This record gives sequence, structure tokens and C-alpha cells, in this order.
Amino acid sequence: MRVGLFIPCYINAAYPEVGIATFKLLEHLGVDIDYPLPQTCCGQPMANAGFETSALPLARRLDALFAPYERVVTPSASCAAFIRIHHPAILAGGDTGSRAKNQTEDEHPCHTHEKIVDLCEFLHDVLRVTALPGVFPHRVSIHNSCHGVRELRLSSASELNIPRYSKIAALLALVRGIDITEPERPDECCGFGGMFAVEVPAVSACMGREKVRRHLATGAEYITGADSSCLMHMQGIARREKLPARFIHVAQILASGL
Amino acid sequence: MKDNYPKAAARFLRDAERAKWHDDTLWMVRQKRDANARSIPEWEQLRHLASQIKTHTLLRLDHYLEQFADSAAANGITVHWAADAVEHNRLVLEILQSAGVKKLVKSKSMLAEECHLNPYLQAAGIEVVESDLGERILQLAGQPPSHIVMPAIHLTRQAVGKLFEEKLHTDPGNSDPTYLTRAARRHLRQHFLTADAAMTGANFCVADSGDVVVCTNEGNADMGVALAPLHVVSAGIEKVIPDAGALAVYTRLLARSATGQPVTAYTTHHRAPRPGCQMHVILVDNGRTDTLANPEHAQTLKCLRCGACMNTCPAYRHAGGYAYSYLIPGPIGMQLGMSRDPRAHAGDIPACSLCYSCNDACPAKVDLADQTYRWRQQLDSMHLASAPKKLISRVLRLLFTSPKLYENVLRLAPLVNRLPRFLVYNRLNAWGRDREMPPFAGESFTRAWKRGKVKASREKSK
Amino acid sequence: MTHKDEILARLRRRAIPDCPMPDVCLEAITYPDKVKQFTETLRLVGGDAVELTPGDDPNRLLRELYPDARVIASNLPGVTIATVNPDDLADPRDLDGVHLAVVAGDFGVAENGAVWITHNTKERALYFIPDYLAILLHRADIVNNMHEAYGRARVSAGFGVFISGPSKTADIEQSLVIGAHGAKGLTVIIL
Repeated sequence: MRVGLFIPCYINAAYPEVGIATFKLLEHLGVDIDYPLPQTCCGQPMANAGFETSALPLARRLDALFAPYERVVTPSASCAAFIRIHHPAILAGGDTGSRAKNQTEDEHPCHTHEKIVDLCEFLHDVLRVTALPGVFPHRVSIHNSCHGVRELRLSSASELNIPRYSKIAALLALVRGIDITEPERPDECCGFGGMFAVEVPAVSACMGREKVRRHLATGAEYITGADSSCLMHMQGIARREKLPARFIHVAQILASGL
Repeated sequence: MKDNYPKAAARFLRDAERAKWHDDTLWMVRQKRDANARSIPEWEQLRHLASQIKTHTLLRLDHYLEQFADSAAANGITVHWAADAVEHNRLVLEILQSAGVKKLVKSKSMLAEECHLNPYLQAAGIEVVESDLGERILQLAGQPPSHIVMPAIHLTRQAVGKLFEEKLHTDPGNSDPTYLTRAARRHLRQHFLTADAAMTGANFCVADSGDVVVCTNEGNADMGVALAPLHVVSAGIEKVIPDAGALAVYTRLLARSATGQPVTAYTTHHRAPRPGCQMHVILVDNGRTDTLANPEHAQTLKCLRCGACMNTCPAYRHAGGYAYSYLIPGPIGMQLGMSRDPRAHAGDIPACSLCYSCNDACPAKVDLADQTYRWRQQLDSMHLASAPKKLISRVLRLLFTSPKLYENVLRLAPLVNRLPRFLVYNRLNAWGRDREMPPFAGESFTRAWKRGKVKASREKSK
Repeated sequence: MTHKDEILARLRRRAIPDCPMPDVCLEAITYPDKVKQFTETLRLVGGDAVELTPGDDPNRLLRELYPDARVIASNLPGVTIATVNPDDLADPRDLDGVHLAVVAGDFGVAENGAVWITHNTKERALYFIPDYLAILLHRADIVNNMHEAYGRARVSAGFGVFISGPSKTADIEQSLVIGAHGAKGLTVIIL
């Protein structure tokens, strides 16, 4: 199986180590992994702000770029969710917006949405990983990001009356020495929300401060999750507030020792 | 004009202690809801049924409305139809005037709020007394509700104590909720005993029996209807459900979702007027048929008005109901306001981090967050989009559609880390107001890949 | 066109795709001991349930539970402690001032502590206006859940109500206060 790696823009710019950990981990697990170029962004920041039209050329690029691959893996639950849920309609000319269907554009069949998986989904559901070589002797608090929980269903949403599960916790438990915990209000939003963070900064930052404090209250040494965007927001808050919080993407813990 | 949500929310958060109380209190209500939901093993099945029944009913609303109207009429209820708020208010006034009503006791009705009924009746010389405690507090204070189920949640007990001291002559400085509630009970009892008519909303109108079902905890709706010779019901046309089998589903979900109670204290079926008395039902459209004709937002009409979406919404809990321009706040209020008048309520649309919690909390599975996303897509064509967001989106589009430019930006980004703080952290940088900038990497992933470092890192550790 | 025709015509331009009426047939919650569940739930919502020991007189129990009640209204033949027959009153407003009303419940619901009461008195105000409400209920008449309840609930004289515990409000700072407008206390006497 040929797998294409999609590295979201902010990971590319600020957290390349997350991409490197993802690559190492997949290679270690025997995946035929490639990083096709040039790739940029899935278009989520613009679409969530109300500009799917600006996301359209990006969706087209991404779809064409990953056409040769059977799977597309990304270490970002939110981007995976966006591509899976919104790309088909965006490429079809905007079923989700009020724009009239644009029939004059070349009919581009969309496939990436069927192939895209978040790294945790890929490890848990596709590869069904049962062993990892790493050791991570630390207490970590899982940040259940909204799109991971309520779009990809990586863990059971606290609103629902369904059996409790967490794919992230199940994967982390394969790493020796780790001590896994979750904050109070385990899947409440951290306040990032894309452009919400800059359009409603007061609410966004207030939510972020509360979230970081709840993570720290668990006694965790690290806050981890499947979305670097949430971690980036909380890291910005923690550094400003001088809170002793350390952030690490799930991929980095799962790849420890590689 | 009211401030838009971002500004109003920032103002709300300035009183940090009060804001924290608001957030904690509503979160506690959500936790009670969660505990109740978990006590019912078939909860998710119920939500699914609730959604399907509403969808089915809305699809055949013409049929069910006629059936309800016929059943109610056969039971001795006078049924009226109102195309809009103006028509509704005129009908209410006509009914009251023809019965010689001077004093009307009302139980909580979001529809009456929507139609601005009270000022209209008062201008016509009718005394209107709100009887729900929260609504009465707001009526005495001259304020609108800030939550649909807990209308006075924004007021402290001290504020209520002071208000009652002035209006009901309670003991100065006494703000004990039990003491104040008892005072309101005595005060409102006198109004119940002297009212000429009672007005209620309807939680459900049952098509096959003609029952109007009203759910309250205080018993105020019942007290009004049981004592006054005239009962007027205002009901939005979306309140119709097919039968008692459907009602069983909704009564199991409503209070558990709203306040975390197994059911409201009173679930009252009004099927016919009391002997010698009159009962009127006004079925109100006021834009609902337009919403129903809009495939992107028709699901809004499935709403049971439980308020669960508000209690779970972090943007609501951290901003309060007054941060929204429409009289119903939170996720459902955003949809209802936009359906009514996008120009007036587009300022509420930023109030969402797209966390999707509302979708999972909603007992009728209204796709609230998806609708907010869709409204955002529509703002630009209505010339209501935020100019800065549009600019940012254009810049990002330019950046992300030009791989060369993107790579150069990635290469230069780390310079931001070393710029003097005043250049990075200033009024123009909303991110940097309360947060540090992300630490841009010295070498982006793409550059590391191109230079073979990613693969090499793997080789090294082999 | 009348407003009715106008609204109905507008409704016929519907936008939601077809969806048949689902079969409301689900395996709803049941309880091994319905009386116990009913009692526990009723206590949770601020009410109480007391089981009458066989051979005991409900009047004695009511007197014990409400020693201070002076004006007691009931039209039930066995309730001898009643001081007022509500059916003799000319106006429902005359019920104001009743300390305790004793009424019969049709059936109770274990999942939510509610009792279904229909119009078996002249004025339904009797259920809402007294300070305290006592409901007599046969232990065999408790159903599991609202699906069973609505299979059984019959409206009489145009009225029926599920009452679950006393009247309550939390409109001041979400602080729960029992006794808003209706009964300040509610006891179900299980016969």
C-alpha cells in the first residue's frame, strides 16, 4: 500500500518534529510512505471562517497531488476531518454554501476524502498496531480535540451515552512506562477554533487558560493530542502565563525510541 | 445598535469572577444532563427517534397541523392562524378585549417574546403579569431574558434581592433565594387570583388528540389556566407532533436535556376548556414556513427549546446571553436569528469555535454547528462578511496556492522569533494579545525533506 | 385566502427529503422493583413516597405526615380528615388557603416519579393551589417508563397532568427552591 503523507501548514512551519516523528513511526511499521511535493494547506482556515471559495483551489491541488496514493495519512485530526467531511462538497461546487453550483469548472472527481486518515486512526483502525518499541516514562494528559472527538470519533464524546473508548489512549498505552490521564471536562474545546482565536480573542484565550490549568491539575508532565493546532494555541497561552506546561504531539510519544 | 458578539463577550469577561460563576453554573447543568442521559440506556436511540419524528412531522406539517386544528376544534377549542407577529398580537388582543380582560397572567413563552407581545398589549391598556419567577424578575427589572430555560441566569441573588426590596418590599439586604421565592409566590398568588385570562405557550401540540401540552417546574402555567376563565395558547406551527407515542419520546428527552431532571414537575395536557370557560389556540407562522423551505436551515425547526446547546456551548458560557443580538442566544439562537434577519444578526455568527458539542448534546439532533458553518459561507454573498477575515483568507489563499512563495515564507518565518516584541505584539496581532506566537522552526518539514534529513533521521536511528 | 390556507400552501413547498414516521418501538428501560425505583426517583425530585402498611388507616398516616394542616380538601370518600369538599365550592379561587389536598392518582411512572392525574374533581386548581399535595396510589399502578405511561394515560374532561414532585424553581442563581407556585411539598401514599 502506497501511503502519501500530508503535513499541514502549521506543522510544517512550527512543528516539523511532529512530521518527522510521523514519518519515522510509519517507516518503522513497514509502511511505504512518501511525501509528495508541493503541498501547502487543506483550506480549513479559510472555509471555517466562511470562505470556501478560497479553499477550493487548495482542495483541487490536494486532490490531484494525492491521486497516486491508496491512503493519505496526516498527523492532524482536524485537517483529516476537514478533508473527509468538507472537501467533497467544496469540490462539487459548494453544496454547503449558498453559491450556485459551478458547472463550468472542470469536473474534478474527488477521492482524497475517501483516503484521508488521521495518524491515530491509521494506526488504530487500519494497521491495528499492537506493539510499539518506545519508552516514555512520564505522566501525560490527553487533549481530546473537538474535531478528533466529534468528527473523527477518535474517542467517545462526553455528551453521548455510548461505551467509553479512546483510540489515542489505547495507542499511548502501547508505550512502556507511560502514565495516561485526562483533564476535568475531558473533551471541552480549548478555544482555538481557527480564526475564532483571532476574531474572538478574549473568549478564546479565556478558554485556553482554563484548559491549560485543567491539564496541569492532573499533575501531568506533558499535554499531548492529535492536533498540533490546539497544542499551539495552548502553548501560546502557557508561555504568556508562564505556566509550567509542556506540549508534545501523540506521534512524538508513539515514535519515542525510534 | 448592539455590539457584535466578540466585543460584547470581551466586556462580559471583564468581570472575571462573575464570568467564571456563569461558566461553572451552566457546566454544572450540563453535567446533570449528562448524568440523566447516562441513566437511560436507550438515550441515543431516543435522540435518533426524536430527530426522525420531527423530520417526518415537519415534512408533513400541513397534514398534521390540519389534523391538530380539527381535533382541537372538535374538543371545543377555538383555533386561530397567524401569518406573522403582527397578526398574532392583533388576535391575542381581540380575544382578550372581546372577553373584557383587564389583567393577563402569562407563563413563559419564547414565541410571545419573539412577537414582542407584552408592550403591544400594555399599550392597549392590558396589565400583563409574567408568572414564571425568572420572567417576573426580568419584567420588574425591565430586562430581556439571557437564556431560554434560565432567563435570569445573568442576575446575582443580591441584584434580585435589591429589586424585590424596591418592588415587593422585601426585607432590606435579604437575598436568600428561598426567602425571595416565597415573596414572589405571595405576590404572584394575588395576581393569579385576580387575573381575567391566562396565556401559555405550548411545548407540544398533539395532532391526533388535539392536546396542548405545557411543561413547567413552577406550576405557574397551571395555576393561571386553572383559575382564570380564559386560556390563550400561542404556539409556533413547528410544535405539532403526531401522537402520544411521539410525546413519550419527547417528554423523556426534554427535561433531562434542559435541566438534568427526569421530567418537569408538571406535564399538563389541556384538551378542552374548563366548563363554562374559553380556550383559544393561535398557530403562528412568523417566518417558520420560510425556514422550512430552506434546505440548509430547515432542521432548526426540530428544536425542542431545551437550552442544552447553550449549556454545553463554551462560546455561550463564556459570554452570557446578552452577548448575542437575537433574543434567543447560543447555538440555536444564532440559527433562529439568522433565519429571521441575517443583516441584524450576522454579528452573532463568530460565536462558535466549531467544537460541535451542541450537535451531540441536542436531543433532536439539530445540526447546529454545521448550520453555523453554512451561514458563514453565505455571509460574503450577502455583503456581511467580516472584512479582516476576508482579507486574511485571501492572503492565505495566495500563500497556499503559490508553493514557491509558501516555501519562502516558511524559510523566513523563524525571523519572527527574533523580532523586537513591539513589532510582533501590538494592536494588529489579536493572536498575540493573550498568547505567545508559535515558535517557527529553523527548518520547515518541507525543507528538511528536500534536504534528505527526514529520511536520514530514520536511517540514523536504525 | 385565509391565513390558514396561506400557511398550509406555504408548507407544501417543503425542503426536507422524505422521511417516514419511525416506529416508536424500542426496548425502553424497565426496573426489577418499580415501587422502589418510583420512590427513589420521587425523593430525588424533592417529593416523597410512603408505603401504607396493610391494615393501616391512610387518614392516620396523613395526619402524622401533615400535623399542622388545618384546611384539608378532598372529595375522596375514604379521606375522613378532609375539612372541605372541593366540589362544593362555587369558584376555584376559593381553594386558595387550602393547606393540604388529598387526591387519587391514576398511575405512577418509575423512571421519573411522575403520577398521572385526570380531572376527577370539579376544579383542577385543587392540584396546584394547596400548600401541600398528597396523592393516593395503588402499588400495582406503577409503570416503568413514559412509553408505557402514554399507552395508559387517558384524559378525562379535557384534562390530565403528570405531576413529578413538588413545584420548584431555580431561577435565582440556579439555587433550587422547592415550592414556587404549586405545592411546597408532595407525598405519594402507596397503598
